Amino acid sequence: MTKLVEFTRTRRSGLSRYIWILWIAALGAAIVFPFVVDRPRFWLPNIGVRSLWLGIIAMSLVFLNRYIGLLSLAQATIAGISAYGVGYMMVTRGQGFFVAVPVGILAGTLAGFLVALIAARTKAIYFLMITLALGQVFYSYASQAIEVTNARRGLAPIIKPNLGFIDLGTITSFYYFALALAVICYLLCRFVAATTFGLALQGIRDSPERMSALGYKINRYRIAAITFAAFIASIGGVVLVFDRAQVDPNVVSLGSTLDILVVAVIGGIGSLGGVFIGAIIVTMLDNFAQDFTDRYMTLTGIVFIIVLLFAPAGIGGIGKQARRVIDRRRKDTTPAVMESPQQEPSAALPTDEAITKGKQQ
Amino acid sequence: MTLKKRKGLVPALAIGVTVVLAATGCSAGANGGSSTTSGGTITIGVLATSQGNLAFGMDEAKAAIGVAMQAIGGTVDGGVINGKTVKIVYAGTDGTSGTAQTQVKKLVENDGVNIVFGPVSGDEGEAVVQYALTVPEVTFVNGSASPVGMTLAGATNFFRFHGDSAMWMGGLGKYAYDVKKYKKIYSIAEDYSFPYDNAGGFFSGFCAAGGKVSGNSWVPVGTTDYATVISQIPAGTDAVYVGLGGADAASFLSQAVTSGVHLPLVGGSIAVDTTALAGDANIASAAIGTITGGPVPGAGYTNPKWQPFVDAYVKQPKAFPSPSIFSILYYNSFESLILGLQQSKGDLSNKQGALRDALGSLQWDSPTGHISMDKNRQAIVDNFLIQVVKGTDGKLKQENISSATGVTQGTKVYDRFTGCP
Repeated sequence: MTKLVEFTRTRRSGLSRYIWILWIAALGAAIVFPFVVDRPRFWLPNIGVRSLWLGIIAMSLVFLNRYIGLLSLAQATIAGISAYGVGYMMVTRGQGFFVAVPVGILAGTLAGFLVALIAARTKAIYFLMITLALGQVFYSYASQAIEVTNARRGLAPIIKPNLGFIDLGTITSFYYFALALAVICYLLCRFVAATTFGLALQGIRDSPERMSALGYKINRYRIAAITFAAFIASIGGVVLVFDRAQVDPNVVSLGSTLDILVVAVIGGIGSLGGVFIGAIIVTMLDNFAQDFTDRYMTLTGIVFIIVLLFAPAGIGGIGKQARRVIDRRRKDTTPAVMESPQQEPSAALPTDEAITKGKQQ
Repeated sequence: MTLKKRKGLVPALAIGVTVVLAATGCSAGANGGSSTTSGGTITIGVLATSQGNLAFGMDEAKAAIGVAMQAIGGTVDGGVINGKTVKIVYAGTDGTSGTAQTQVKKLVENDGVNIVFGPVSGDEGEAVVQYALTVPEVTFVNGSASPVGMTLAGATNFFRFHGDSAMWMGGLGKYAYDVKKYKKIYSIAEDYSFPYDNAGGFFSGFCAAGGKVSGNSWVPVGTTDYATVISQIPAGTDAVYVGLGGADAASFLSQAVTSGVHLPLVGGSIAVDTTALAGDANIASAAIGTITGGPVPGAGYTNPKWQPFVDAYVKQPKAFPSPSIFSILYYNSFESLILGLQQSKGDLSNKQGALRDALGSLQWDSPTGHISMDKNRQAIVDNFLIQVVKGTDGKLKQENISSATGVTQGTKVYDRFTGCP
């Protein structure tokens, strides 16, 4: 047993170093991206920036799912409300960037708080359905509230401003702006998850009854988590609205909601960083699938099914999946001394496993 | 309680980095992403719907382009104009603004097209015009998108060779007042931008002729219960304007009959389609006598260029039995583009100045009447007034009752309105 623990520790510490190297490599690749692509005017907005805002919004979904076990379909709507907030202030009210962006983020976060007040008492499929329903309510509102959203025409143009120290109108600058926000959002999610608040969330995810018995007000924690995720989604909405230069009901449509879900599932419904891989795959399919077939939506669907079939935890879960296979083989070839008759009681299923086994909280 | 580790990120990041770096090096665009002609080749990027409600849009676009290109010895994939090779590439959308933005950027920035042709739907059109403002070096020719505001947005590189959705009602308001003697009309229309423009076009003409609006009801798309709306129609109303489409129009017609409403109807441009015409006996009886307006001529249209166009259209792969509104608008627009390229001798130098001058001053006789351009690069066109009649075979059909020639665009983008717009 001791040997096994030592072996595991050694392997994990080695893996940890490897992860940081890869993280730096990925960040480095993202930083040099504008300089290695042959057509930056295509690659930066269509693949780079779009992947970043899709990833940020999907990350808010994954945060909720991973740390509190709630699958929300309102994240695209919340990002859209933030985008509408920015659009309304800039187009209708003629305000500048430094007023419009905080208003947008505040509107999205407040919308998330209101969603939380309604939905936090539910869980599993009921939470999913209620967040979907609230999203559709806002879609109908956005399609018709001509005084606020300009109905189907939407709000345009939303021009990327020159802030003095950075000109967001330059596509490379805007890409780095979006990249910086994505990194900040990721680090913020990791930070919040590591705080006592984050630990309590994971406790609520694994055993709400036990946490409630310990004196935790679990609904308040859920509301706070959903509001925090709304804040992250709102930041994604800000990047979205400047990337698209307009906001219309398509941003909060069912299709957009499903896009976010597909990104999260392909990237890894339990992986905060994996969502960006999912976002890159989805944007690449959006742009290039037509080069291979007229039935490009079918191709996207096939990729989705293949990922679900062979990597149920998404691309971000492939490593763990592979390691499980290796461990199983190793166990088969290891003498019986490695087996311990006294095992600790297993904790609740990790969220991504739980999702695939239909046992999410 | 379990605290999760980032176990799966190693391969995820590795795969992601590999995918990005591999993909960025393996998708060279048609012209290397530049917007200049390479070796005398002119690349036209076509945007059309190939998914969603309007999935047939791509087939209709190809049928229209096929008719125009075959007339000069080309195909749907290209040909030769004034010694310049023309290459046509296609990008499918689902009719939403988001997909249109993605695909138009890909056409321009990755495929390096010189000219964008399309899109189909109004939502897409609004997005494409906003994008056109950011790429002044590329010329845009609209497909069938009809929002009024598209040619009022100030994009000097954007041209539309058909009427907008307000112009599609051109002449109908005056006809309703003068000929049909409708003095008061009640308006029922769906609550989004297309019906605003469409109804605005009708009622601006109707009110200018002296007519009055006895009330307006704006209903959400997908409304199936019109009982409360029908009960609001005041006494003394001469006719009802139906700015509904598809199943909504059929539901209204059916309920109007069962509620005992026997008022004549004025249809928006999409109210009297096959759904309504092929409906049950009640719906059919309600639809007979309905007048409407639009860019598609009905039976009895005598323009000598019309029938040859129809004959050429039906020979195209996947063509409908008769041209739809999309194929007609795409044909008129693409033929205009060909004429512009011919007149400018395919010269795309000097920021495509010669081509834009040619397009901006183009005049020609299309299968649906004379087309000329105004100062906003918006076409001045003929519009058709149609009436639903019962044919000798007992089936309903749309018959041409009049044409409005030289219909020009107004300067107003309509919003939801009460009374006259």
